[in-house]
Amino acid sequence: MLGKLAFRNVKRSAKDYLVYFLTMTFVTALMFAFNTVIFSKDLQKLVNVVNLMQILIGMATVFVVAIIAWLINYMVRFMLQKRSREFGTYLLLGMRKKTISHLYMRENMALGIGAFLCGLALGILLQQILLSVLYSMLQEQYRLKVYLDGRCVVMTAACYAGCYILALLRCSRRFRKMNIRELMYAGQQNEEIRESHEERKKWLFPMSVLFLGVFGLWLFFGKEWNGGTVICYLVGLVLVIYLFYMGLSSFIVCYVRRKGNAVYRGENLFLLRQFSSKVRTMQFTMGTLTALFTIAFLGCTAAFMFNDYQNQILEGKFPFDVQIFSGEKDEDFARELELLEQQAAVDEAFTYRIYQNGTNQVNVWMYTHLQVFGERFRNADGTPKMENIEESSGGGNWYGKYDTYMSLSVYNHLREMLGYTPVSLKEGEYLLHIKERIYRDTGDFSKELSIQGKDGELHCAGYRTESFSLDGHNGADYVLVVPDSETDAMEVFYSELAADLEGEAPEDLGERLDGLAELSEEEMLDMAGHAEISHHSTGSGTDTMVVYYAKYLVRDNIIPEVKYMLSSIIFPLVYIGLVFLCVALTVLSVQQLSDSAKYKFRYGVLQKIGMKKRTVTGVVGKQLFMYFLCPALFAAVISGIISLYISVKFVDATGVRTSIFQYFGITCALFFGIYAVYFAATYIGFVRNVEES
Amino acid sequence: MKDYIRICDVEKYYGNDSHVTKAVDRVSFTVDQGEFVGVMGASGSGKTTLLNLLSTMDSVTAGHIYYGGTDITELPEEKLADFRKDNLGFVFQDYNLLDTLTIEENIMLAMTLRGKGRNAVREECEKMLGLLGITDVRDQFPYQVSGGQKQRCACARALVNHPQLLLADEPTGALDSRASQTLLETFTEMNRTLFATIFMVTHDAFSASYCSRILFLKDGRIFHELVRKEKDRRRFLGQILDVLSLTGGEFSDAR
Repeated sequence: MLGKLAFRNVKRSAKDYLVYFLTMTFVTALMFAFNTVIFSKDLQKLVNVVNLMQILIGMATVFVVAIIAWLINYMVRFMLQKRSREFGTYLLLGMRKKTISHLYMRENMALGIGAFLCGLALGILLQQILLSVLYSMLQEQYRLKVYLDGRCVVMTAACYAGCYILALLRCSRRFRKMNIRELMYAGQQNEEIRESHEERKKWLFPMSVLFLGVFGLWLFFGKEWNGGTVICYLVGLVLVIYLFYMGLSSFIVCYVRRKGNAVYRGENLFLLRQFSSKVRTMQFTMGTLTALFTIAFLGCTAAFMFNDYQNQILEGKFPFDVQIFSGEKDEDFARELELLEQQAAVDEAFTYRIYQNGTNQVNVWMYTHLQVFGERFRNADGTPKMENIEESSGGGNWYGKYDTYMSLSVYNHLREMLGYTPVSLKEGEYLLHIKERIYRDTGDFSKELSIQGKDGELHCAGYRTESFSLDGHNGADYVLVVPDSETDAMEVFYSELAADLEGEAPEDLGERLDGLAELSEEEMLDMAGHAEISHHSTGSGTDTMVVYYAKYLVRDNIIPEVKYMLSSIIFPLVYIGLVFLCVALTVLSVQQLSDSAKYKFRYGVLQKIGMKKRTVTGVVGKQLFMYFLCPALFAAVISGIISLYISVKFVDATGVRTSIFQYFGITCALFFGIYAVYFAATYIGFVRNVEES
Repeated sequence: MKDYIRICDVEKYYGNDSHVTKAVDRVSFTVDQGEFVGVMGASGSGKTTLLNLLSTMDSVTAGHIYYGGTDITELPEEKLADFRKDNLGFVFQDYNLLDTLTIEENIMLAMTLRGKGRNAVREECEKMLGLLGITDVRDQFPYQVSGGQKQRCACARALVNHPQLLLADEPTGALDSRASQTLLETFTEMNRTLFATIFMVTHDAFSASYCSRILFLKDGRIFHELVRKEKDRRRFLGQILDVLSLTGGEFSDAR
């Protein structure tokens, strides 16, 4: 009998909680698909770098589980409150509390298990999409294959069940404490509108807006960054997120009380009051939703940044098929060439030297003028802090011990290999090949340099900014190109080999090359198992996102590896962003749908006092829209400020040629796309509920 | 104006082929302008259905209802809403006030929905609050005031746009005797000073005794009619009770 009752109850409430059910299904599907990445053996075999993605997805899962636990807890409590009258009636009829509590638990379990099973089915589909995206990033062929790994299903089920059991245990405690009277009246508790100290509280609204303004200004122009201020602003931000709604509600109430002009226009009075009273009763939930939206926004924005980086920068970062460094001044790369010939069809292999003349004025200029260094290498009077610079030079730091020079003939040969047009230099001239990102920061600074040639000062003939492997191979951030006669008089700094291969490089070429490196103290392997550049006088430039400071660069091997590492960040961020977004939208949607009974009465009254049915539908739309849009818009403002700031830093640091508004723009498009789906579903359901006789 | 509202052979049937309930069965009567008409009847006699038909909230199965020259049974839904907005005011047993709005705002909203200007809204609202004696509680929310005050607010909201007809469905049903008396006196006052035409459904003889004419409904038909004329209220009440006792009435609220 109880089972039948529970089943009927689930069926009856299914309409109101359909959105919740679908979200739980979707979240289970996401969880299952991402857990596959953690457990997939094929994937583990494929990638031999440290399993960063597994670790990060694992961490993301912790957040996801936490938020799902919150959602379930919220929904279970919410449904209990909405149905308290019904439970009170059961009690009156003589049912025991324990029986009712079991009934309620059974209903929730039925809903949960249903969503879980649907989620698994959808999860298998999502898993295929996710894996094919991942495999294509790794430039591997993916054949559709269903991974129903036991551990993966168990982990998903465990996360899911854990959330449910926690929520239900809390709920049964509530049941034990409640009495019939409380149950019968629990549904009406929210109806009393208590207004007090509104005049005072309304100031929270302009203060919150002001705080956001100050926060934005501080982010963009603030100089004093220390732990204290950061913590102060973070605490302030959290407070603002929660107090904003209290202020907003009071602000509207005061406006209505003051009888502002808008109050006298059509249904505005009704809408403003509805909105303010809803915001007042839900202020804490609204704050939490804003926080979730903000995290979703930021997560997605960051994911798009890395994705953009992956698409724009990575190809240019490794312009040569193979590039090899040697600290030896007369290296002939015989062993490496032999290996290359064995393993691949070499189109061209070119050995050349990088020179130095014992000076480091360009390096010093960079240290003292680049934005990324700030005041670090500069005294108050603008002179360089030489001791700091010397400490930071070489050993894989930003710049080497000396400035790097290349002869014109070598430069033109390399340009030809890369398909660039050759350049010419007259005697007594030099050319700066510099990273585009650095050039955007520095502009023309040749007048501040005094490059000495063998017969006196050289003049700058211009800049070139094409991608040119400036992360420690052909210099760090820049290389000075001088006529061959000048390098003849210089000392060799180190040797390089650049090779063009026919077709793609074999998968294990990089590994085999690394195998040639003799493992001594100087020639270490980095964490990904690659031989590092051994000569401690060179630097790796100021790139911050991906610095691949390795002795052997094989482009076709590195790019998938770096892409995989970047995906390790992108995937969990998207995962968290999507889950948080859906959870927040579900709460908004379910709240409105289950309130529709109360609203039905209100709209009925509006119709009785002369509002047309069509106008009522319009008012429903406006009301829902205000309620949906408010936390989303507020979160968009907060995350917009932070995103723009991060975008500026990101563009500066990586040199991607993207408008700083683009990342946030794409995130907004994605966000409001999903938002529109939830809004439409809620609107349709809501209008149906209101119109139902 | 005579024959201000004409109800001609109105029928309202519910149900399907196998089982038909005649909620209103060939009812005809007229209401003059400025009249205070009451409809009495036992539960299920069709009085609320009749009110719903008059108020355009329900459609007739057959017959016609004329407001002046307009036959509302022929109007399409969109025009009906306009008609309702421009001509009718409602007072219900359960007040039907919006709980998120204060007493004053409930009255204001009825006017702003009709696009009235700021000054008109203010003036009219002030006047109504004063007339109905609820100025003191204007800033309170419905849950903060008594049932009588709520009903007076509903009454103010219904009258603020000067409707052709005020429809009241058991307006005293949820009020104590004192509040009922105050409300009915207000109705009489409104009827006299504002010339409001009132159509009230009630099963309470005491409430009905404030009307100028009473229609008695049974099984969907009018079976009797009482006119107060110059009689005082107490005598009229006696007459009503007589009718009720003759029908073995279920009304036992004579006070």
